Amino acid sequence: MGNTGKSSTAVAVGQKKKAAIPMGVKLFLLVLPFLVLVFLFSYYPLNGWRYAFYDYRAPLDLSQCEFVGFKWFKFLFQNPTQVSQLLKVLRNTFAMSALTIVTSFLPVIFAIFLNEIKCKWFKTLVQTLTTLPNFISWVLVYSVAFALFSDTGMVNTVLQNIGITTDVVKFLDSDAHTWLWMLAWSTWKGLGWGSIMYLAGIAGTDQELYEAARVDGAGRFKLMRHITLPALMPTFFVLLMMSLANFLTNGLDQYFVFSNSFNMEHIQVLDLYVYKLGMSSNSIPLATAVGMLKSLISVILFCVVNFVSKKTRGESIM
Amino acid sequence: MKKKVARVLSLALVVAMLGTTMVGCGKKDNKKNDTTTGNATETTDSTGDTAGTDSTADADKKYDKFLTVDVFATQANYQGIQSGWFAKVVKEKFNMELNIIAPNVAGGGDTLFQTRSAAGNLGDLILMGSENGRLADTAEAGLLVDMTDMVANTKYVSQFTGAIDVAKGLSNDGKLYGIPSSVSSQPATNPSEGLDLTFGTYLRWDYYKELGYPKVGTLEDLLPILKQMQDAHPTSDSGKQTYAISLFKDWDGNMMCMGKQPATIYGFDELGFVFSKADGSENQSIIDDNSEYIRVLKWYFDANQMGLVDPESTTQNYDTMYAKYQDGAVLYSPWPWLGQAAYNTVEHKEAGNGFMFVPVEDESVFSYGATPNGLAKYVVGIGSKAQDPQRMMDFIDWLYSPEGVMYSCAQTASTCGPEGLTWEMVDGRPELTEFGKEALLNGDGTVPEEWGGGSWKDGVSQLNFQTVLASDENPETGFPFNYTLWESVIELNSTPLDKDWQETNDALSTVEYLQKNNQILVAPGTDFVSPQESSEITTLRSQCKAIIIENSWKMVFAKDEAEFYSILKNMQDTVKGLGYDDVLAFDLDCAKQLNEMRDAARQ
Repeated sequence: MGNTGKSSTAVAVGQKKKAAIPMGVKLFLLVLPFLVLVFLFSYYPLNGWRYAFYDYRAPLDLSQCEFVGFKWFKFLFQNPTQVSQLLKVLRNTFAMSALTIVTSFLPVIFAIFLNEIKCKWFKTLVQTLTTLPNFISWVLVYSVAFALFSDTGMVNTVLQNIGITTDVVKFLDSDAHTWLWMLAWSTWKGLGWGSIMYLAGIAGTDQELYEAARVDGAGRFKLMRHITLPALMPTFFVLLMMSLANFLTNGLDQYFVFSNSFNMEHIQVLDLYVYKLGMSSNSIPLATAVGMLKSLISVILFCVVNFVSKKTRGESIM
Repeated sequence: MKKKVARVLSLALVVAMLGTTMVGCGKKDNKKNDTTTGNATETTDSTGDTAGTDSTADADKKYDKFLTVDVFATQANYQGIQSGWFAKVVKEKFNMELNIIAPNVAGGGDTLFQTRSAAGNLGDLILMGSENGRLADTAEAGLLVDMTDMVANTKYVSQFTGAIDVAKGLSNDGKLYGIPSSVSSQPATNPSEGLDLTFGTYLRWDYYKELGYPKVGTLEDLLPILKQMQDAHPTSDSGKQTYAISLFKDWDGNMMCMGKQPATIYGFDELGFVFSKADGSENQSIIDDNSEYIRVLKWYFDANQMGLVDPESTTQNYDTMYAKYQDGAVLYSPWPWLGQAAYNTVEHKEAGNGFMFVPVEDESVFSYGATPNGLAKYVVGIGSKAQDPQRMMDFIDWLYSPEGVMYSCAQTASTCGPEGLTWEMVDGRPELTEFGKEALLNGDGTVPEEWGGGSWKDGVSQLNFQTVLASDENPETGFPFNYTLWESVIELNSTPLDKDWQETNDALSTVEYLQKNNQILVAPGTDFVSPQESSEITTLRSQCKAIIIENSWKMVFAKDEAEFYSILKNMQDTVKGLGYDDVLAFDLDCAKQLNEMRDAARQ
C-alpha cells in the first residue's frame, strides 16, 4: 500500500501545474476508497451492537423486540458458574494466543536459515512447499488431519500394523495436549507464509554490511547472528506488537473444525464461544454483548502495547 | 496528454474502487430476492414436455408461467432442485419446480432461518416448526401469508377444521398462517406408526438366533448377548471390524440424541430437559442420578468397557454410520427405520439375515398417538413474498389430497407413489406391481421413462413433510396410505427371516406382538405446542445443553466408573450453576400441560 501511495502522489505532483482541483482534494480522493472501505467494514458493523440491548429473537425485526438495556451484560456475570465459563474461554484464548506469540520467532529463524541455502531450486522448493499450506482452508486441513489421525486413519493403521500399539490412539477426540496440537497445526500452516516478510527484510539488508563483516573475519553463523538477525528485529517487533493487540482474536475456523465434545474444555476460544452462542443457539444479544466486551478489551490492550512501545522503543506503532 | 490519461485513469480507478466496495451492500429489503426469483418467473416454459399428457395442458392453461419455487423445508434432508418422478408430477400439475432449501443440509442449526428471515424472505413455500412461539413470530415479522380466506376455497385442506382451528390458535391475531402436518381421522389413542413403532430394540436376528433366542429381562441384559454376538461375528460382510453399538452426534439437541433412544422402550420421550412418560405417571429431570437418561449413558459406558462401542462413534456422522449398518458392521439399532432400512434387503431376508425386534420383558415402548387435529408443531405455510400465492395454496391442497399423500410421503412415511407405477388395484385391494416390489421392498429401481426416468429413490419427494397420517385409510382405496400395512404386502413378508421371527414371537408384526403383550405405551396425540419461552430461558437452555451433550459423550467414553461419576457430578454442578433449574421448571410446566391434554384425549 505504501508503494501505491508514493507513485500516486508522484502522479498527483506531476499534474500540479494544470490542475484545477486543489492538491488536498486530490489526495483526499485518492484515500477516499480506502476510507469508505474502512467505514463500511470496520465502523458500519458497529451498528449491530444495538442487538446487545434488545431481547432479539430471530424472525422478528429489531423494532418489534423489547429494549432491555444492560440485561445481557449483567447476565454474563450473574452467577459464579457463568463467570467461570467465561473465564475458561478466556483461559483458552490467552493460552493459544500466548503460545502463538511465544513461538513467533520461528518464522524469523526459518527465514534466516532458508536464506542460507545456496542451492537455488531447493530453496525455492522449500519455500513453495511451506507457503502452500497457508492457502489451504482449515476445513481441508481438518480433512487431512482426519485422514491421518482418526481411529482408522493412516497413523493408527500403521502403528497397529507394525505392532507399536494394539489399541487405537485417539488423536482427534481426546483432550490430551489440545493447545500444543493446535499450535502445531497453525505453525505447520503459517510458518512459510510468516517468513515471507522476513525474507523480504533479508533481501533488503545492505550487502556492504555483510562484506565488511566478512573482511573482519565473520563466518556464516556470525553473519546470521550479528547482521541478519538485528536487521530483522524492527520488523519482528512491529509484528509482535500487532499480534499482542490481537490477543483476543485468534480466529474461529481452526478451533471450530477441530472441536468436539472431548476437547471442548480446552479448545473453546472466545471467537468460537461467540459463534456458538449467537449462531447455533439463537442467543444473538448475549453473543453480541460478549463480542462488545472483547472489542473493548482489545482496544485497551492495544493502547497499553502502544504505550509500552513508546516508552521502550521510543516510537509508537500507530 | 500523458497527464490527462493519468488523471482520467486515476478518476476511473477511484470510481471503480467505490463501486466494488458498494456491491456487497445491496439494500436489505427484497429487491435482491425479487431480481433473482424474477429471472425464474420470466422464463416461461419453453421446454415443451414430450410426454404431453392432459394434465400438462391443464397446468399450462392455468399456470402459464413456469416457476422455480423456493421451498424452505426444516425437515428435508436434501438441498437443491427436486428431481426424478416427483419433479415430473409437480411440473405437469403445477408447471413449476421445487428448489428445496434445507437447514438440515446447510448445517449450523438455526443459522439459515435467521439469515433468511433477516433478509425478509424465507421462500415461497415454508415448511417449518411452530414451537416456542416461532409461528407467531414469523407471522408477526411479516414473513407468512394469511391463508384464512384462501383455505376456504380448497377442496381438501378446508375439511380439516380441527387442525385449522389449532393453527389459528398459534398466531397472535387468530389468523391462519400454517397448516398442521400429520392430520388423522383415527382416534388419538391409536398408535400413529405402522407395523413397527418409531422406537424399539432391534438386533441382528440371525446372530441372536444362533444364541438360541436368549430371554432379555431388561435393558442391561442386552449387553452380554450383544457381546456374544460380536465375539461370534467379529467381521462385517466386507471384512471390517464389527461393533454391537455405533453412535453418531449429528442429531444431538437437548441432549445426546442416542442417549435418549433406549429409554423410549420404557415409555419416555423428551420434552426439553424432561423425560416425560407417555402415561403421564412420571416426569424426570434428565440429569438426575437415577434418570433413564443417565441409565442409558451408563449402559453405553458399560458397553464401551466391554468393547462393544464403535470407537469411531465420536467422529462419524449419520451417513457413515448408515453405511456401516448396510455393511452389517453394527448389531443393535434403536430404530427400525435405521437397521431394517439399511440391512433388510430382500436378498438378506431370503438368507434369513436382518434386523428384527427383540422383546425386552419389562418394556412398554413409547408410541406417538394419532393426531386428529394434526401435528401443529410442524406446519406448512406460504411465504409473504411468494411469486404466486394461489398456486402455492393449490399445491398445498394437492399435498393433502389422497393422491398427494400417496405421492409425496414416500420418503419416510411408507406411502408408495403413483398408482399404475408402484401399485395397482387387484380384485378390490391394492397390490404392489413388479416395479413396486423392486423399488420399495428391495431398495431401489429404475423408473420407466414415461414416469420421468431416473432412480426411484432419487425421485421421491424430498420435502419430508407428512400431510396426512400415512396409517390413515385412503378414501379412494379403503386401505391405508402406508403400503406396509396392506394385506397384500404383509403376505409378502414370508421370507425365512420374517417366518422365523413370526414363529418365535407368535405374532405377525412388532406392533401386533407388543399389543398382545400390552407393552405399548401410546402417548395420545394432542394439540400441544410448546409455548413461547423467555429469552433468558432460551439462552440458559442453549448453554446447558452444550454442557450436557459435551459431558454425555465424555461419560460414555470415560476410562473407568470413577471417572464416569465424576464427569456426571461435574456436569450436574455446572448446569445447575448456570441456571438449569429455571429451564427445568419451564419444561416441567410444559410437561404438566401436555399430560393434562393427553388425559383429556384419552377420554
